[in-house]
Amino acid sequence: MTALPLQPASGGGRFPGFSTASQARHWDEATAAVVIARLGLPQDLRYFTPVEEAAARALFDQLLDQREDPRVPIVNMVDARLAEDQTDGWHYDGMKPDGESWRASLSALDEDAFSRHGVSFCQVHWDAQTAILTNIQDAAQWHEFSGAHIWSLWTRYACTAFYSHPAAWDEIGFAGPAYPRGYKNLGLDSREPFEVADVRPQQDPLRPQFAPGAEEED
Amino acid sequence: MASVRDRNASAWLLPAGPGGNHALRNDMRHFEDDDEVDIVIIGCGAGGSTLLQRLARAGWRAVALDAGPFWDPEKDWVSDEAGSHHLYWTEPRVISGKDPVPLGSNNSGRGVGGSMVHYAGYTPRFHPSDFQTLSQDGVGADWPLAYHELKPFYEDIEGELPVAGERWPWGDPHSYPHRPHPVSGNGELFLRGALATGITAKVGPVAISNGRFGNRPHCIYRGFCLQGCKVNAKASPLITHIPDAMDHGAEVRPDSMVTRVAVDDATGRATGVHYFRHGQERFQRASMVAVAGYSIETPRLLLNSVSKHFPDGLCNNFDQVGRYLMVQGAPQTAGRFESEVRMWKAPPPEVSSEQFYETDPTKPYKRGFSIQTVSPLPITWAEHVTAQGHWGAGLRKYMSDYVHWACLGALCEFLPLAGNRVTLSGEKDRRGMPVANFSYSQCENDGQLMTAAQSAMEKILHAAGADEVITIQRYAHLVGGARMASGERSGVVDADCRSFAVPNLLITDGSVLPTQGSANPALTIMALTARAAEKLIARTPQRSR
Ligand SMILES: Cc1cc2nc3c(=O)[nH]c(=O)nc-3n(C[C@H](O)[C@H](O)[C@H](O)COP(=O)(O)OP(=O)(O)OC[C@H]3O[C@@H](n4cnc5c(N)ncnc54)[C@H](O)[C@@H]3O)c2cc1C
Ligand code: SF4
Repeated sequence: MTALPLQPASGGGRFPGFSTASQARHWDEATAAVVIARLGLPQDLRYFTPVEEAAARALFDQLLDQREDPRVPIVNMVDARLAEDQTDGWHYDGMKPDGESWRASLSALDEDAFSRHGVSFCQVHWDAQTAILTNIQDAAQWHEFSGAHIWSLWTRYACTAFYSHPAAWDEIGFAGPAYPRGYKNLGLDSREPFEVADVRPQQDPLRPQFAPGAEEED
Repeated sequence: MASVRDRNASAWLLPAGPGGNHALRNDMRHFEDDDEVDIVIIGCGAGGSTLLQRLARAGWRAVALDAGPFWDPEKDWVSDEAGSHHLYWTEPRVISGKDPVPLGSNNSGRGVGGSMVHYAGYTPRFHPSDFQTLSQDGVGADWPLAYHELKPFYEDIEGELPVAGERWPWGDPHSYPHRPHPVSGNGELFLRGALATGITAKVGPVAISNGRFGNRPHCIYRGFCLQGCKVNAKASPLITHIPDAMDHGAEVRPDSMVTRVAVDDATGRATGVHYFRHGQERFQRASMVAVAGYSIETPRLLLNSVSKHFPDGLCNNFDQVGRYLMVQGAPQTAGRFESEVRMWKAPPPEVSSEQFYETDPTKPYKRGFSIQTVSPLPITWAEHVTAQGHWGAGLRKYMSDYVHWACLGALCEFLPLAGNRVTLSGEKDRRGMPVANFSYSQCENDGQLMTAAQSAMEKILHAAGADEVITIQRYAHLVGGARMASGERSGVVDADCRSFAVPNLLITDGSVLPTQGSANPALTIMALTARAAEKLIARTPQRSR
């Protein structure tokens, strides 16, 4: 996969030419098998119905700001986890097990979209989708859910999938698997020969000119 | 004190280089279900493995059952965050209360080695004051045991793991068998910030050998300690106690989930355990039973073991089982530096401070907290960022700055409260066993400690040169739930880990802790178990074997 599309103002291109996957020959077999599989054809969907899939795609595009291809195939990765019941091993009292909560929350998203815009969530305009989600993040109660609890479920699954992908590692400069080679250069501003320095170290996300927030357009 | 190798030869039984010792596993002794073994141990983690090794050495016919697999680190573990999901206990659990505590990856493991397979590796001792918080500070509980009674066992286990670190100035001052490791950017910044603010911080204590230790290889500073150390540099019972146990005739039976401890209705004694293996329900006979399934599964198993004598669950005649469960408040504060920190390099456990551990009479709260380096990998770091409310473009932008962040974590001593407990929920697992419902609510002291710890970490990071800091509220380290006490009305076991209710039942894991200090618990769990084993061996007449 080539680099994920991300504008420089949004943090794209800070590590030019950096590729964790280019180091795959240095990884142990077990690790390479797991990581390289993520670069191949994603698994077919088994868990989500087509209607749920459409809502989930739109939701994940929003949560991870994936507006165009190439994308990390989040929907396939989450679907595989749910099909295999690979949960985090806990759920909030009063909330259903993860798989059922996913189904119920995706259909609740469609309900919101229908009642506000007369179409399903995936057909709503990008900014209107963002507005629907912003409401949920701040809601004490959203349909049958606590806003915070459903938000936690969505972002946990989405981020676990996205930041397990080598293309996402390249974007953030993370060096990926390190066995059996290990790291030799510890300490501030030290890099391994294959690591790439950040070309925009001033791009602190908390400084006003780079203030974060999904609502802002780049 | 005998040399380490004379009392535990595990490090010398491992093959040179990474990997398990397959010869030991192939030649392992096997008991029949109908053999009445001297002891059956439930759980092969910190407590269970230590007990197994000690008893096997003393000639006991011992078998330990674990619900999870017998890991082969070379094949089963990966140098990858998401790919390590199978290391965690992910069977269903329900969380509730005012401040519910997420479980899974953050809290408990499975399989031979238990949670220490993916623990960070910090191994501090408790302070002497931890054993008397009620009489000294008016909060928590007094142990039926004093620090000095545990001290020799701390020293033994520190030798067996082994622990590396600087000379330790806090609690009962002591030194460590191995020298401190070199530190990475994250540790460097902690030391720099601490120095600038007049806070003492020290390198260690970590259970990662530094230098030659049997056949254990040197740490390669790859930073994936929380994903299981493929190198065999970081200690877990899988490499520190299981090899020696097998070499002394113990059996480790993986993939065996115990659902009930059986009790004879006539005598009130435990007779063995019911367990599922490969889909079949089986029964292992034993003349003694030890429960060591971790602070959630131990109470769950006891509560599910109902009988004529124990209609409300085993050892629960005084409604003590599952109560006084504790987590440590574990806020993590990260600071942003112009330099590249690349905090994922080197083991996450590097540097710590126990300067704020004890009660400070000038403060409104009792007890305290410790501060340690933590180094979240990308998925966990994304959790920090989403916890600030970021998502979409904001999240991606924030994450692109990952190389510039350093991260500290505090451990706050939350107090033991009767209402924080495990009960059985209406939901069942695939075997039909009710799952645990774990309810947690903080008290005022708990919240005050979280705030104090956060500001101490912010101060350190700012002093080290951070221009921005962010904090995420987390929890770590469950202990308690079947605590030791001076009598059956206030706890479940005595100082030797013997249950008050059943003469031949022990509990030897983190659930017996009455308080938790602000130290990571694994070393204390192992030391308490080593002590319980010594007492058990001393009071048991020579076995026929
Ligand atoms: C991410 C993380 C980081 C940590 N970092 C540190 C650290 O730096 N330092 C530290 O001291 N501690 C740390 N800990 C905590 C430490 O690992 C645990 O406190 C300790 O291992 C608990 O020991 P235990 O004997 O109570 O249980 P465990 O070690 O969890 O062992 C319990 C075993 O019992 C088995 N089991 C449970 N129920 C059953 C059943 N019914 N039948 C059969 N088998 C069963 C499980 O599979 C498991 O293997 C960390 C934990 C985590 C998750
Ligand atoms: S950093 Fe060292 S101890 Fe941690 S996993 Fe890597 S080799 Fe093992």
